[in-house]
Amino acid sequence: MKKTRFDRGNLKYYALSVLSVSLLLLAWFVYSSSANAILSTPMEVIERFAGVIRSPIAGTSLAGHIWASLKRVLTGFIVASAIGIVLGICFGWFETFRDIVWPIFSIIRPIPPIAWIPLVILWAGIGETAKIIIVFIACVMPVVLNTFAGIESADPLLLDAGKVLGANSRQMLLSVALPDSIPTIIAGMKNALSTGWMAVVGAEMVVAREGVGFLIISGMDNLDISLVLVSIVIIACISACLTFILNRMEGVLCPWLKLENK
Amino acid sequence: MAEARKQITVKGICKSFQNQEQSLQVLQDVTLDVNENEFLVILGPGQCGKTVLLNILAGLESADSGTVEFANGTPKYGEIGFVFQRYALFPWKTVLQNVEMHHKFQRVPKKERREQAMHFIRLVGLDGFENAYPAQLSGGMKQRVGIARAYATRSNIILMDEPFGALDAQTRYQMQDEILKIRSAEKTTVIFVTNNIEEAVTLGDRILLMSNKPSSIVREYVPELPRPRQNTDRAFMDLRNVIAQDMDLAL
Ligand SMILES: Nc1ncnc2c1ncn2[C@@H]1O[C@H](COP(=O)(O)OP(=O)(O)OP(=O)(O)O)[C@@H](O)[C@H]1O
Ligand SMILES: [Mg+2]
Repeated sequence: MKKTRFDRGNLKYYALSVLSVSLLLLAWFVYSSSANAILSTPMEVIERFAGVIRSPIAGTSLAGHIWASLKRVLTGFIVASAIGIVLGICFGWFETFRDIVWPIFSIIRPIPPIAWIPLVILWAGIGETAKIIIVFIACVMPVVLNTFAGIESADPLLLDAGKVLGANSRQMLLSVALPDSIPTIIAGMKNALSTGWMAVVGAEMVVAREGVGFLIISGMDNLDISLVLVSIVIIACISACLTFILNRMEGVLCPWLKLENK
Repeated sequence: MAEARKQITVKGICKSFQNQEQSLQVLQDVTLDVNENEFLVILGPGQCGKTVLLNILAGLESADSGTVEFANGTPKYGEIGFVFQRYALFPWKTVLQNVEMHHKFQRVPKKERREQAMHFIRLVGLDGFENAYPAQLSGGMKQRVGIARAYATRSNIILMDEPFGALDAQTRYQMQDEILKIRSAEKTTVIFVTNNIEEAVTLGDRILLMSNKPSSIVREYVPELPRPRQNTDRAFMDLRNVIAQDMDLAL
């Protein structure tokens, strides 16, 4: 958790980011205003956004669509975190378990989560469960991998300290190796939340009647490019909010990390 | 100190490490005795295997050959205090929680282990800092926590691995005074490793000199100096010079 150059709260950094985003908006404006552009102008997108807020789409309000997606992501994410951490601990701490299960895990690992959509729909139908399972698959991988890596690379010096203080093997795991892995595990959870969010949009684009992924599809079906762009912006904003919340939680749960970075 | 009773007998310890194709002989026939309640200093040059030797005594590593015998039976983990060269404090625990860790592992009730820990925190002069995290402390304070944590095991034997090696000279002198004060309050056997001759002469009831790799114990000194020892003292300087010469020869 070293300081990167992007953490520096210096004026130059802020000025340049404002500049680059402004240039992007300007380019968008110029291109979309040209006669044969297949893109809405920023003004049209803002108008469409106001419209979405005023009148529901497919019988659900904008907040309803956002909440539908969030519910799926959070459910899948929480279940995946719980199971992923336990699985990662088993990989990192119990060698026999790792030797038996790791080969299976490494075959499944590289498959993109949305590739499971057809199978999951066949098994679980087109209801909520299917979408939550897709999110789960997307979230569980980074949590398992990071927990495993964290436990496996627990500081040998701290393990020695635990040993000379008389910890039994359960205490070594729960009081030394696991807390030492918390930063790595949280990094994995952040990663999981963003891949989970991508997966839910993917799943909703295939089969859903509400959710932000569904908004994109209905924009496409009705040649409503403004709605597609509104959805994309919403997706980006929510993803940023989720990351922000996890960062804050990290600060609350691990007060010592902030001190170390000073 | 007339009735010195042997507490630890170390005989013929050898230890080597296998690195890729080559093997590195670190300890070669290390033999020494440790008396009950003495402050034994093991003095040796950098990288000569001091940490490896202490790890073997603590049971963290095993010797290739040789024996370590304890007069009161081989201690289990938690029955020897260990102060680490690089502190090894748990960064996610406060000072108090670090010091009470041993009692927590022993499932001592919270109130009792708090009291125990506070006793040792006061002993090392850290009262007021019990709720600070290690990251908020200076190097000297971190090692005070390390010392309190080792003493809190209430072991008869405390191993200290170059505890002041990472500190600046000023803090180092302070900590040397501190460790002698702590020792007069808590009677234990201390095995103290250092590469600093002056520190060895300031602290040791007895000093063992280690040679370079492959290392063994090459000399023993028993400073006949009244405490508190002054490094400006004639006899102090003489002993320091003798050890310095021997050390040059041993390298
Ligand atoms: N686990 C290990 N594997 C391989 N080599 C090791 C291992 N532990 C120690 N060594 C080697 O043994 C030698 C002695 O190491 P040790 O840390 O005991 O020295 P030291 O006297 O404590 O040094 P310092 O003064 O720097 O603390 C070093 O050359 C080190 O590289
Ligand atoms: Mg060392």
